[in-house]
Amino acid sequence: MITKREKINAGFQSGKAIVNEQNKCSDSVDGNKKNGPRNFISTALFFSLAVFSQHSMAQTVDTSLSTGALKKLSLEDLMNIEITSVSKHPEKLNNAASAIQVITQEDIRSSGAKTLPEALRLAPNLQVAQVNASQWAISARGFDNVLSNKLLVLIDGRTVYTPLYAGVFWDVQNILLEDVDRIEVISGPGGTLWGANAVNGVINIIMKSSKDTKGLYAEGSIGTILPGSASLRYGGKITDKLTYRAYVTGFKMGSTNLLADSTNAKDEWTAVQGGFRFDWDPSEKDKVSLQSDIYDDRPNPDGGTSKPVIARGDNVVARWNHTISDKADFQLQSYYDYTWRDFRNGFTENLNTYDIDWQNRYKLGKRNIVTYGLGARLMDHKVNNLELFEFLPEHKMLHLFSGFVQDELMLIKDRLRFTLGSKIEHNSYTGFEFSPNGRLTWTPSEHHTIWTAVSRAVRTPARIDRDFVISLAPNLPLITGSDLISETVIAYELGWRVQPGKNLSFSLSTYYNVYDNIRSAEPGPPPFGIPIIFANGVKGETYGAELAVTYQLTSWWHLRGGYTYLEKHLWVKPTSKDSNKGTAESDDPQNQFLIQSTMKLPGKIELGTVLRYVDKLPAPYVPDYFGLDVRIGWKPFKFLELDVTGQNLLYDYHSEFTPSSPTPRLISRSVYGKVIFRF
Amino acid sequence: MVGDAGLWAQQPSSRESQVKAVFLFNFTQFIEWPAKTFPDAESPLIIGILGDDPFGNYLEQATTNEKINSHPLIIQHYKTVDEIKKCHILFVNISNKEQLDLVFKSLEGKSILTVGDSRNFIRQGGMIRFFTDNDKIKFQINVEVAKAAGLTISSKLLRLAEIVTSKNN
Repeated sequence: MITKREKINAGFQSGKAIVNEQNKCSDSVDGNKKNGPRNFISTALFFSLAVFSQHSMAQTVDTSLSTGALKKLSLEDLMNIEITSVSKHPEKLNNAASAIQVITQEDIRSSGAKTLPEALRLAPNLQVAQVNASQWAISARGFDNVLSNKLLVLIDGRTVYTPLYAGVFWDVQNILLEDVDRIEVISGPGGTLWGANAVNGVINIIMKSSKDTKGLYAEGSIGTILPGSASLRYGGKITDKLTYRAYVTGFKMGSTNLLADSTNAKDEWTAVQGGFRFDWDPSEKDKVSLQSDIYDDRPNPDGGTSKPVIARGDNVVARWNHTISDKADFQLQSYYDYTWRDFRNGFTENLNTYDIDWQNRYKLGKRNIVTYGLGARLMDHKVNNLELFEFLPEHKMLHLFSGFVQDELMLIKDRLRFTLGSKIEHNSYTGFEFSPNGRLTWTPSEHHTIWTAVSRAVRTPARIDRDFVISLAPNLPLITGSDLISETVIAYELGWRVQPGKNLSFSLSTYYNVYDNIRSAEPGPPPFGIPIIFANGVKGETYGAELAVTYQLTSWWHLRGGYTYLEKHLWVKPTSKDSNKGTAESDDPQNQFLIQSTMKLPGKIELGTVLRYVDKLPAPYVPDYFGLDVRIGWKPFKFLELDVTGQNLLYDYHSEFTPSSPTPRLISRSVYGKVIFRF
Repeated sequence: MVGDAGLWAQQPSSRESQVKAVFLFNFTQFIEWPAKTFPDAESPLIIGILGDDPFGNYLEQATTNEKINSHPLIIQHYKTVDEIKKCHILFVNISNKEQLDLVFKSLEGKSILTVGDSRNFIRQGGMIRFFTDNDKIKFQINVEVAKAAGLTISSKLLRLAEIVTSKNN
């Protein structure tokens, strides 16, 4: 007879400590662009920008446990261990065959990040540069720009994208950071799964299920360049299978300073966003979610006496995951997204996006996993033109139909797999586009993965490429769109992931990208060289490496970080007369590194530090800088937390990016305090 | 898959296998087998795996040097049900309906705790089935079937389980 033996219930918590963040600093800033022809295209692009720019704590149990440690848990605790698979779990990243890096809720919280772009700084494989109080230039593997167009961003499956310039308006993505589950940052092409515009990377922002946000959360902040910020969220359950949350968050961000004389740029930014989410598990095999956001945003990138831009929007996303059997599942997702932006100079943009997407995954025999899907998107895009600044026609209905299929073939069980797939899309501007991908993954041991991939991805034209006209006077165009075709990249990647100990993991990703048909600006006929016309006159290649490390030194000290190297060469085709030689599309640092430390100290104190280095930007020139952010958090009671965060501590002022418009800015050292209640 | 998805996930995560292995080990302490299944005090308690082994090293790690009331733990692997001579806990890694039927048929009358994770495992006559809920491992227990096999399941285990019967699952 066997009797029961009681187990020791080792109480442990996951947890890291606090974090602080770092910021950047820079010494002297002399990032003045040269004038003259080399900046013509940037002038052209940024001319348009000028217009645009007016404008718990998931209480999970520690994931780094050995089998021996698991044995010491009570059955109850064992039932609370999360076992999510690869893409859902940083731990399982070890087998992910791509350059994916994950920013966890803990990383964000401990860094003291106030906004989504600040949180994205924590991904060492991204280039994130603050341009002014409300604008950022964000990209991966180069081509960083305020109008970056080679990165695809999704928030809970909803593509955050404007067909105006094929990029992201970062000022209207004001999610409640507390409710972020994790941010997956995939550098490298993701076209096979995500389609056009996932050229250099994909940012996948995944919010917590409302199952994990029960109770009341309230926070308020104030600081030296943070006039105020407050958030409120409440979540609960209606039945055991149906949970919900609702939130509202709002802030006023203080100004940056003018690069010219360090005076206040008066570019304050206010925003309010709210929303709700329901999660329903009608059965063990089904998961349904419904979520919605609504916002009102007032950025003022031009600053000074300009009136702030008004941007409003809302969205609804519904998703259904269904497990058909042990071997098959599918996901059906649909969303509606509305955005409206009044640049306060007469130009407005109005966009309604309707999207439906279906994916099915089947295990075929013992060796194959087949994934396929269909999607359709309609973008009803309307602008109010200015006399000399126009998108023609004003109203355009854009469509995107897509299908994809991918097979993952296990060549040697648990050791070697080959993945082959392609997305096929049809869009309004260029018709059919293909984004194939082949990937070989070798897993010599459970803690060791080597992968290589060849992918093609495309950046399809946006309205700015095709329908845009800036005129000097009526019927005297200065810059015009053209029959621009898609920009393409062929990417060759080789990566290595290893976990030498259960507390230590490395990932190294290397790549060589070959670009063709990058946008150029071709001068018009003499004598004046106008109108300037967009063309596909630039080719290029980039290569580089991304190293990421996480290290849990002790139960109270967590370190993570990375180093990114980028080498970029662009040149014009013989047929092109682009005087910028393609450089206007991007301004990228060659070297970047990041170290984030999170320490749980005695006395319920957390100390977080983020140190960052960003190399100089070549043109327009911006000096290299170090950023240091430090956060000290004190949690005297379960329901109360007090934080003080210093950002950009090393310098009085520093510059991160010099756009052609609006005027370049400096970001100053700042400190803010935060009070958090949780019930 | 889009949005929140196992883009790279195809097999059970290592964490999942590890947790299940530890559960299997834990079950040895919450089940009472008929005395005749242990000829003497030093007879081993045998955990068998039928079909592919999904646990990697985890089950070894969980059971090595462990004794349950002086019974050492031993792991055995079986390709077919006919190979099973003596066994106390059997993890059945088979999801095919017909095969499962055959397995349960040939185990009839034996005091073996059957554990599995395929969807129809309980419905076809299994005793404990793992399932995933909100990314956590939960389990169902069919008490009647266990009782019929002469096994007594501790109320501690039952309290944490979803209790099901062959019919209503």
